[in-house]
Amino acid sequence: MDLRESELPGIGRKYSLRTRSGEQLVIVVHNDERRDIFHMDADEPDEMRSMVTLDDEEARVVSAILAGITYKPKFLENQEIALDSLVIEWIRLEPLSKCVGKRIGELDIRKTTGATILAVVEKDKTKHINPGAEYVFTPGVTLVVAGERIQLNQLKKLLLNGAL
Amino acid sequence: METLIFEVGMALALITLTGLLSAKLRFSVIPFYILIGMAVGPHAPHFWIIDLRFIESSSFIEFMGRLGILFLLFYLGLEFSVARLLKSGKAIIVGGSFYVALNFISGLLLGWITDLPIKETLVVCGIMTSSSTAIVAKVLVDLKRTANPETEIIMGMIMFDDLFIAVHISILTGLILSGASSFWSVLLISLTALAFIVVFLFVGRKIIKYIDFALNIKSSELFLLMIMTLLFLVAGFSETLHVAEAIGALMIGLVLGESRHVKRIEQQVLPFRDFFGALFFFSFGLTIEPASLGGAVGMTLIAVLLTLVGNLGAGMLAGRISGISPKASLNVGFTLVSRGEFSIIMANIGKAGGLMASIQSFAVLYVLILAVLGPLLTKESKWIYQSYEQLRKRLRRSRG
Repeated sequence: MDLRESELPGIGRKYSLRTRSGEQLVIVVHNDERRDIFHMDADEPDEMRSMVTLDDEEARVVSAILAGITYKPKFLENQEIALDSLVIEWIRLEPLSKCVGKRIGELDIRKTTGATILAVVEKDKTKHINPGAEYVFTPGVTLVVAGERIQLNQLKKLLLNGAL
Repeated sequence: METLIFEVGMALALITLTGLLSAKLRFSVIPFYILIGMAVGPHAPHFWIIDLRFIESSSFIEFMGRLGILFLLFYLGLEFSVARLLKSGKAIIVGGSFYVALNFISGLLLGWITDLPIKETLVVCGIMTSSSTAIVAKVLVDLKRTANPETEIIMGMIMFDDLFIAVHISILTGLILSGASSFWSVLLISLTALAFIVVFLFVGRKIIKYIDFALNIKSSELFLLMIMTLLFLVAGFSETLHVAEAIGALMIGLVLGESRHVKRIEQQVLPFRDFFGALFFFSFGLTIEPASLGGAVGMTLIAVLLTLVGNLGAGMLAGRISGISPKASLNVGFTLVSRGEFSIIMANIGKAGGLMASIQSFAVLYVLILAVLGPLLTKESKWIYQSYEQLRKRLRRSRG
């Protein structure tokens, strides 16, 4: 996958993806939470074919649709306060992850990483909202997790290696 | 004093109206703010309490403009990252150096042509070397060019340029504002200023952990108060060491840019930056006597030409190194032409140091022309490139 990330100081972050179908997709996440999605000309990288601007809420919904998730988090009215620096992510467990077969309680996720597992979506779309300590990880499930960026990075490490 | 608030309200009304007008015309707003400031002021008509001369409020508007500089530079510092600049690649470092060098030499050349004293020449160099980060970022977003390959190069070069300007301002303030006359005392002051900046940034990096800990506050009110305290204390203290308060604001911005709370700080400060930033451009316009601008026209036109040539050269070079198309390289040069806040800060330093008044007039005209011309050229760059291509083909055919 040819995905490039770069910083546009004063504007935001930019992600350029050359899709396997040969298209050029560019997403710019602005500092003011807006997202611009550009479809660029495949041969002329500075020619824009079309673009869409999404606000924060629209972008979240679109990303959930793209990720194939039917679960839609209901955000509180006042997002800024509730989600000050909080990030919500969807993590898919690969069969290689060392956490497969372990219980949530066993890994002591909240204490070691600070992140929270909000929900687990099984392959057959069954959902466990707020899974308890007894829940056992199986390969191929999608975890909906929340926390600060640093905490989520810790969590991914923990899930992959089975320990920190 | 009784009409102070009303006068400030009138100023805001003027600023808002011009802002709306510029949005209607789809045009960069900064030159408009300066123009409306020039249109009113000491010579404006007045009757009853509608007094556009802003006599009572002028010192307050000026103060708010000063705050505008602080917020503009503080925000710039938050967004800036030296580490990122060093990682940004050869095109930006080489292109940026080339860009700074070309513009600086243009300034020296202009000073030599017009027979300016050394201090004035150095201020002119600063005015001509400083692209407007505010205008450029806005133009790129407005023209929906953020996805283009040249955008990283443009923003990187601007960062490089900002860094150079910060150093240049630090040295200049020692030279101009300290009132020192002998070479050694100037050197001592400039070195003290530079040492303060380096030590401050170094210590800041070391103690950011503790600042982060202190900023772990739920209450947004206390959080904001803390940020403002840091900003004002550092900017104010810098001034005592002959480091311009603008640079002090930039420095604390650079330090807090490494903080874990940087997003939250940006969100809190952004409205202040927008509000006081507009007042900064307006108050700059207020200080200008339109009748005095005539003398600087010739000098400004030469400067504009030099800037255009220098920018196109630097843009082409940066574009060539990074392997983007000639068309995109042209965009780099044209986008970087815009001039704004930094040039004005430079001119204000010159004014505070009691340099020739013509420098101020030159700065106004130069900023006005390029704040309009820059976005225009950026917008039409595609068309300009196509015309150039056609011309080249025709020339080839006529020769062939």
